[in-house]
Amino acid sequence: MKKIILTIFLLAFYTVSFSQDKNEKISIEFSNANLKTALEKVEQTTGYKFYYDQNWFADETNLITKSYTDISLNDLLNSLFEKTALNFYIIDKKVILSKNSTIHSSLPDNYFSTPENSQANQNTAKPVFHQQYDSIAKSQAASGIIYIGKERKGSELKSYVLSGFIKNIKTKNELSNATIRVRDKNISTVANNDGSYKLTVPYGLNYIDVELVNHKKATETIMVYDNGTLDIFLYESINELDEVVIKKNADKNVKDVIAGVSTIDVEKIKNIPLVLGERDIFRVATTLPGIKTTGEGSAGFNVRGGKDDQNLILLDNAVLYNTSHFLGFFSAVNPYTTSKVDIYKGSIPARFGGRLSSVFDIASKNGNPQKFSGEAGIGSVTSNLSIGAPIVKDKASILVGVRTTYSEWILKQLDNENLKNSQAAFFDGIIKYNHKINPNNNVETTLYYSKDRFSISSDSVYKYSNALISLKWNHAFSNKTKTDFIFTNSNYKFNIDFDNGTANSFDYGYKLNETQFIANTNYSLNSKHAFNYGLSSKLYNVAPGYLNPKTAESTIIPIQIDDEKALESALYFSDNYTLNEKIQISLGLRYSTYSALGESTQQVYKENAPINDNNVIATNYYKKNEVIKTYGGFEPRIAMRYLFTDDLSIKGSYDKTYQYIHLLTNNTTQSPTDAWKLSDLNIKPQEAHQFSLGLYKNLDNDNVELSVEGYYKKSYNLLDYKVGSQLMLQENTETQLLQGEGKAYGVEFLVKKNAGKLNGWLGYTYARTFIKSDSQFLDEKVNNGHYFPTNFDKPHEVSAVLNYKFTQRYSISSNFVYQSGRPITFPVGSYIYNGMEYTLYSDRNKYRIPDYYRLDIGFNIEGNHKIKKLSHSFWNISIYNVLGRNNPYSIFFVTTDGQIKAYKTSIFSVPIPTITYNVKF
Amino acid sequence: MKFKTHYINQFYKILFFAIFCFSVSSCTEQYVFQSNTFESILVVQANITNELKKQEIKVSRTYRLGEKEQEFEKGANVYVTDSDNNNYSFELEDFSGLYVSKDPFQAVPGRSYQLNITTKDGKSYSSTLQTLTSVSEINVEPKVVTVDGIKGAEILVTSNDPTASSKFYRFEYEETYKVISPSWNPDKLIVDPNGTGQYPSYLIVPRDKETRVCYTTKKSDDLILVSNAGQNEDRINLPIRFIDIKSPIINERYSILVRQYVQNSESYTYYKTLKTLSTSSSLFSQVQPGFNYGNIKNNDDPEEKVVGYFEVSSVSSKRIFFNFRDLFPTDPYPPFYTECRTQLLANCWTSKGCAGYTILALIQSPVPEKVYYGALDDMSAIVFVPSPCGDCTSISSNIKPAFWID
Repeated sequence: MKKIILTIFLLAFYTVSFSQDKNEKISIEFSNANLKTALEKVEQTTGYKFYYDQNWFADETNLITKSYTDISLNDLLNSLFEKTALNFYIIDKKVILSKNSTIHSSLPDNYFSTPENSQANQNTAKPVFHQQYDSIAKSQAASGIIYIGKERKGSELKSYVLSGFIKNIKTKNELSNATIRVRDKNISTVANNDGSYKLTVPYGLNYIDVELVNHKKATETIMVYDNGTLDIFLYESINELDEVVIKKNADKNVKDVIAGVSTIDVEKIKNIPLVLGERDIFRVATTLPGIKTTGEGSAGFNVRGGKDDQNLILLDNAVLYNTSHFLGFFSAVNPYTTSKVDIYKGSIPARFGGRLSSVFDIASKNGNPQKFSGEAGIGSVTSNLSIGAPIVKDKASILVGVRTTYSEWILKQLDNENLKNSQAAFFDGIIKYNHKINPNNNVETTLYYSKDRFSISSDSVYKYSNALISLKWNHAFSNKTKTDFIFTNSNYKFNIDFDNGTANSFDYGYKLNETQFIANTNYSLNSKHAFNYGLSSKLYNVAPGYLNPKTAESTIIPIQIDDEKALESALYFSDNYTLNEKIQISLGLRYSTYSALGESTQQVYKENAPINDNNVIATNYYKKNEVIKTYGGFEPRIAMRYLFTDDLSIKGSYDKTYQYIHLLTNNTTQSPTDAWKLSDLNIKPQEAHQFSLGLYKNLDNDNVELSVEGYYKKSYNLLDYKVGSQLMLQENTETQLLQGEGKAYGVEFLVKKNAGKLNGWLGYTYARTFIKSDSQFLDEKVNNGHYFPTNFDKPHEVSAVLNYKFTQRYSISSNFVYQSGRPITFPVGSYIYNGMEYTLYSDRNKYRIPDYYRLDIGFNIEGNHKIKKLSHSFWNISIYNVLGRNNPYSIFFVTTDGQIKAYKTSIFSVPIPTITYNVKF
Repeated sequence: MKFKTHYINQFYKILFFAIFCFSVSSCTEQYVFQSNTFESILVVQANITNELKKQEIKVSRTYRLGEKEQEFEKGANVYVTDSDNNNYSFELEDFSGLYVSKDPFQAVPGRSYQLNITTKDGKSYSSTLQTLTSVSEINVEPKVVTVDGIKGAEILVTSNDPTASSKFYRFEYEETYKVISPSWNPDKLIVDPNGTGQYPSYLIVPRDKETRVCYTTKKSDDLILVSNAGQNEDRINLPIRFIDIKSPIINERYSILVRQYVQNSESYTYYKTLKTLSTSSSLFSQVQPGFNYGNIKNNDDPEEKVVGYFEVSSVSSKRIFFNFRDLFPTDPYPPFYTECRTQLLANCWTSKGCAGYTILALIQSPVPEKVYYGALDDMSAIVFVPSPCGDCTSISSNIKPAFWID
C-alpha cells in the first residue's frame, strides 16, 4: 500500500521536475571504478543526490573505465546501469534508484482497459506495478521474488524464455524429469536428462511450480522482465517415510503392456474417508473396478468374479493368509508402514502363481537411512506408531511399526455386564531391516505379526494370528542381471475357545504353515527384450483342526484331523518384448507342479459313483513324505499392447492359472474360522483361463485416464458345497464338496483424474459370475446342473472416490459405493415328511439380499507446509455411512425348536463419525 | 459446556454401538423376508415295503413358513407299476388324507417299481425305477447300562447281514408304556343334581371309565440313520434309545417297536441330507442350505421341483416288552410323573379356611388340576390329589393297544 502512495506521489511531481533537468549536460571520466564509486563521483560532479540501497551494488563487480562528455544525466545513468538490474528516476536534483522495477511516470494507456487479444509479442505487455504482488510477496516471505532481467520501459515482450537447471539443493546434482509448470497458465515442460529446461514464460509475475518424484514440490515466484536463467533447487523429501510416493508414470495407463494392473499409492489414500479412523489399503482396493468386498465387515474380496480364496496377498513376498482384523473392518496391513500395493487382476506376471484371480503385491516401506523419523496416529479405536532409523548411515535402516486397539479398555469401562465381558482387540507389528551392503548387494528382512481376539457371544473367544518372515537378498551379477533370493515363512492359525461353563465347552483350532524359497532374476538383454525368470518352491504344513473338550466330564469327543503336507514348485520365464514403438508383447510361461505328501490316509471312492461315505472302496495309507498325488501344468501368460497414438492404446491378454489350496467356506458363514484345505487324492486343484481386452486413453497431459476393460474367465474344479454339507472338522472333506465349472465375465469402466483441485476416480462395473455343479448323481447336483450365480455375484457396482482440495491444507473427500445385493438361498416353505416338519429351500442363490450403498465423507486438515518444521500433522474427520443406510451384512437362518427364523446382521447402520490425528516427525 | 458434554456422550454412544456389534452381535435383528418367496411344491412320501399290506403314499404340498396346516393333494391318480407289468392303484382315504392301495401287496425282490402320479391339474410325475433292498432281520433287547454316570435302560438294536449287501439303514421306533395312577380311587365326586341347599352338595359315584391304567405311545422324532459303508461286516449294533432309571416311563411296563428299513445308497443320502438340513445350525455347525433332490420328476418339465424319495425297502421290525423289575431287580422304582401330595380342603363356604368354591371349581372343570381322592364321612372335608395321580387319562390314553401283552 505504501508503495502505491509513493508511486502516486512521485507521479504528481513528474512534469515539473523532469522538464527542468533534462537538458543539463555533464562530462565525467571513470577509471576502474565500481558502480558505487562511480555514482559517488557523479554525485560530486552534478550535485545530484542519489538514493539507493548499498546492497544492490554487492553483485555489481564490473569495473567502469570510460569517459563521457556532454552527456545528459539521463543518458549517463542509462549507460552506467545498462548491464545492471538498476533503474533510476530523477527528480529535483535527486536520483532515486530502484532495482529491477522502473518507477513509472505515467500509467500506460491500456492500464485500465481489458487487454487486447493481440498475438503480437511486442509492446502489449502491461508494466507490472508492485501492488499486483504486494499481498503475495508477504505470503512468499520464505523465498521471495526472483527478478528475471531488468524492466525496460516500452520494450516489453509478451513472453520471455526462461531456462536453467533443476538441481538437488544438497548435492547440487542436476535432476532429470522434473515437471516445470507455470501456475494457472497451462504452460509446462519437463526437464531433460541433464536437468536443463527451457520454458516460455509470460512477462511479469509468475509462479513456477516444480515437481519431481521423491522431492518436495518447489514454487518460485518470479518477476519476468527479460529472457533469463533460473536454477531451481529441490529438497529431497525431508522425511523419506512420508514421501516414498510411488507415482505411476503418467502414461503407464496407456503404455504398460499389462492390462488390469492397479497401483495404490498408500500416501495418497490418507484423504479417503475412513471407518473408525483407519486408513485401509484393501478398502481402497475395493473401490477399484473389478474388486469387490463380499460384504461390509467381511474379510475377503472378490476379484473379477473369483472366490475370496483366489487372491494371492503378498507382504514383502510372504503370503498373508488372513488380511483382516475385526471380521474385516480393518486391514491387517498397517498402512503407515506400507509404501505401495500393486494389484494384478488381469494378466498376472509369470513370476506369481498359486492363486487364480489376482495378486496383491504389498511392499512395505524402508526406514529412513539418514535420520530418525517416524509417524504416529491416534484414532477412535486404534493408535499406531512407526519409527524409522538409520543403523548404518545411508546404508542400513530399520522400520518398526506397531498398531493396537484400545477397545478392550473402553469395553471395561461400561456398565453393561454383557459388554464388560466382551473382547475385541487386535494388534499388529512389523519390523523391516534394509541393508545396502554395496551397490551390488542389498539385503531386506521383514518380520510381521498380527493377532486378533474377539468374542461374538459371551461364552466364546475367537483368536487368530498371522506371522510372517521374509528375507531377501538382491544381488546384481552385472548391470543387466539382477537376482533376488527370497526366503519366506508364513504361519496362520485360529482358535475358538468356547466355555459356557458346561460340559459342552471346547477348544478348537487350526494351523497352517508355508515355507517358500524363490530365486527371481531380471535380465535386460537390450532395449527390446527384458527377461524375468526364476524358480520357486513352497512347502505347506497344515494342521486341519483339533477339537478338545475343556472339562474332564465333557461329553465332547476329542477330534484330531490328520496333518496335511504338500510341496508346490514352479519354474517361470517371461520376456517383455518391445517389437516396435507401437507393439509391446509380454510372453510368460510358468510350469507349476504340486505334490500332496504323506503321512496321510486317503479314501478311495468307487468310480462312477458319488463321492460320499457310501462309496468308499479303500482307505490308502501313505508314509511320511510319500507322494499321494501330483498335479501340475503349464500356465501361459500372454499380454500384448498396441499403441494407436501416444495416448491411446489397446491391450489384450490371456492367462492361465492353477490353485492348489482352497478355502472352505460356505455362504451362510458368519465365522472368521474358515480353514484352508490342500489338494489331495480326491480334491483337485482349481484352474482358470482368463481373456481380457482393454482400451486406454489419456487426456489433458496424462492427467485424466480413461479405460474400459472387459474379461471372460472360465474356471474348472471350483469348490462348491453339497446341499447339507458341513465343513468344520471333517475327516474326509471331499464328501462335502463339489468341484464345478465357473464362468465370469464383465466390463469395467474407469475415469481417473490424478491431479488438480478435484481429483479421484469413478468406476462402474458390470460383472457376472456363475458356477455349475452338474452330475448324474442327485447329491452332486446343484440347481439341476445349471449355472447359477455364485455367492458374490453382484452385477452392478459403482464406486467413486473424489477429493477436492480447497487449499494445500484443507481438503474434503468422499467415497461412494453401490453394489447389487448378493445372492442368497432362502427358505421358501415347509413340508411334512415322515411326520416331521422340514424347511424347503429355494434353488441355490435364487434370491438376493437388498442392494448395498454407502456414502462416506471426510474432511482433512494438513498441518502447515513449512519445510523446516519439526513435525508434520494431519487431521482427518470422517463420517462413515453418512446416509445411515442399514446395509445387511448377512442374512442367515436358524432352526430352533423346529422353527426357522431369519436374522439380518447389519453393522454400522448409523453414520459413524471418527476423528484421527496423525503426526510425522 | 453442557451441550458439548452431551455431544461427546452421543458420539461415544454411537462408537460403542459400532464396536459392540462385533462383540455381542447385538446388531442382529430378525429379518422379515418377502412372503412372495413361497413356492408351492408337490411333496411325495412313498415307501413301498416287503410287508404284505395296504401300502400308503402321502401326497401333499409345501405350505408357508410359520403355518402349521399341511395341505393334502387330493384328486390325484396314484399308482405303482412294476417290471412284471403289474399296476397297483391307490385311492384317497378321506379321513387320513393318504392314498392307500386298493389291494394289499408287497414288494418282492427282482422286480423294479415305479411310482406314477397325475395330479388333478393334469401334471404327471414319475419316479425312477427302484428295486427292493435286501432283507436283514433285527433283534431288539433291553440292557442295563451306565452312560455318563447315569444308570438306565438301553434299547439295543442288532442285526447282521451276512451277505453284507444292506449297508444303509434307517430306523424308526414307537414306544408304548403303561401308566398307572398311584392315588386312584374307583369313585368320583359329582355335584348332587337334586341338591336343594343354598350351596351345592356332592355325591360319591363310581367312575364310568377306565382312569387307572393307561398307555402312552410316542414315535421317534428324529431320523436315525446308520451306514455300514466301508465296514468289513454289515452288522448293526445300535443303542437306539436310552431311558434314565429315574424316568417314570419305565415305572410299570414298557414296550418298544423298532422298524429297520434297509435303504439303498441314494435314498440313504437323501435322508442324510434331510437330516443335516433340519439340524439346528449354530455358529459352529454351518450347513449349506439348498434343495434336496429326490427321485421323482415331472414327466414334462424336468425343472419342476418335487420333494420326496420313492423308496422300495425291506423292513424288519421287532417289538419287545419289559417291566421295571425285569431289568432292575433291586433298584428303587422311578417316581411317578408328578408328586402325588394329597390336599385336604374344607367343604364349607363362609367361615375362614373354607374352600367350598375351590372344590366346586375342581369338580366342575373338564380338565381339573386336581381330582377327588377321598372324603371325611360327613363330607366336611374332601381330599384331592393332582390329576395324573388319580386319573391317568389326564396324561395318557385309556385305550389299550391291540398289541399290548401284559
